[in-house]
Amino acid sequence: MLKIEHLKKHYNNFSLDCSLEVKSGCITGLIGQNGSGKSTTFKAILGLISIDGGSVTVFGKDIQSFTAKDKENLGVVLSDSGFSGYLTVKDIIPILKNLYRNFNYMLFINQIRRFQLPLDKKIKDFSTGMKAKLKMLIAISHNAKLLILDEPTSGLDVIARDELLEMLREFMEEEEERSILISSHISSDLETLCDDIYMINDGKIIMHEDTDVLLSNYALLKTDQEQFKKLDKQFIIRTKKESYGYSCLTNQKQYYIENNPKIAVEKGTIDNVIAMMIKGEPK
Amino acid sequence: MKGLLIKDLRLMKVQKNFFIIFIVIAVGMAAFSYDISFMLGFLSFVLSLFTLSTISYDEFDNGNAFLFTLPISRTSYTAEKYCLALLLGGGSCIFASILAVIFGIFNKTADFSEIAMTALAILPVLIVIQSVMIPFQLKFGGEKGRIALIGVLGLLFVVGIAFVKIAEMLGIDIIKVIENLPTVSMGVMAAIIFFAVVIILFISVKISISIMKGKEF
Repeated sequence: MLKIEHLKKHYNNFSLDCSLEVKSGCITGLIGQNGSGKSTTFKAILGLISIDGGSVTVFGKDIQSFTAKDKENLGVVLSDSGFSGYLTVKDIIPILKNLYRNFNYMLFINQIRRFQLPLDKKIKDFSTGMKAKLKMLIAISHNAKLLILDEPTSGLDVIARDELLEMLREFMEEEEERSILISSHISSDLETLCDDIYMINDGKIIMHEDTDVLLSNYALLKTDQEQFKKLDKQFIIRTKKESYGYSCLTNQKQYYIENNPKIAVEKGTIDNVIAMMIKGEPK
Repeated sequence: MKGLLIKDLRLMKVQKNFFIIFIVIAVGMAAFSYDISFMLGFLSFVLSLFTLSTISYDEFDNGNAFLFTLPISRTSYTAEKYCLALLLGGGSCIFASILAVIFGIFNKTADFSEIAMTALAILPVLIVIQSVMIPFQLKFGGEKGRIALIGVLGLLFVVGIAFVKIAEMLGIDIIKVIENLPTVSMGVMAAIIFFAVVIILFISVKISISIMKGKEF
């Protein structure tokens, strides 16, 4: 569905070198700190910036040769951009109708009513949650095959985030072929939604794992000095000095639980895995 | 293209009060002045300038980033801005002409051929002005665009003066040269102006497309 190979983009003090793949029928997450390269990657996928090397293929076609017609199969949410705030939902409907041949008016208007978004109010006067919902509704309104969502839940409360994630699940259930690439700095969103997760740091992908594997096989071992010395380190990915000794990231939780019953084991989460991948030392 | 035009028309709705004010001013001019050429030029020029304000609206709040994820190309976006300028310019020129005719009949000063000639003379000027302004607006945006445009006009002025001075120094009387140019018929002149405007418009569109293609959002 989407394949990025060694996508390169250089700025004065930042270099991106990113490879990732979104498979058909999958929801893939991209997680990283602020300034890690998520938005640059998204902009490159969407052809909003020029690239210095590598390739981006969407639906098997190079992004450089992407036409307006090809773009009809994409649904996009950008965290820092959207339709002009001076327009209303009523203004947007005929625009979408004329831009997308597959614009589903009934679906759009029903969802607008469901989320109680006002038709005549200028978007700039919407609350953060209303703006985010509208962006998402626009992205899913025209039967897109691939959604590219950059921080769609940014700045939202728990209820609004849940509603948005529910919208995405419904979107995926409607057709098997659909895919989503989503970035978020709220890891719990990605844990419950994504099939696989890429972690990006300083412009580079530092980890790619299936979410199930990450949550079931990854763990943080908390050892004192003595336990650390004796620890079999063959399945340790990262280690980090702590006040109590060491914390060690492993992708073979069961192995260490069985062989080191005295060591405290903390279940792997996206947050602690990414923290260890960035701040920990390779073994 | 149609979707973009609708977007711009809806954005211009935000400025409908300005539209109404300009139309009221034009009606006032038509009602109380016998010189319809100023009213025709004023209304056509001012209303066609709303194209530039739609470019500012697009850029506002990083809006262009999302805009270019929609099924449009950078070329079609640029083409739409020129179409909008022509529609607004042409439309307001026709509207102003109708105003001139109506008030001409009321004031019993109607000279249809004069109105038609003025309207036809304004259109090429309008196209040339837009051909200069749109690329500047696309390249530099609202604020910087105006400064850059003033800069270029100033530069053209300086170049013009320098040209005249150099000609004087060389002992060439420019006015005489112009007077001695072979006289051409009205039709030939119209054809020359028509082709010159088309060429300027074509070059302007080409420049604007290359500006948009080089932009990063």
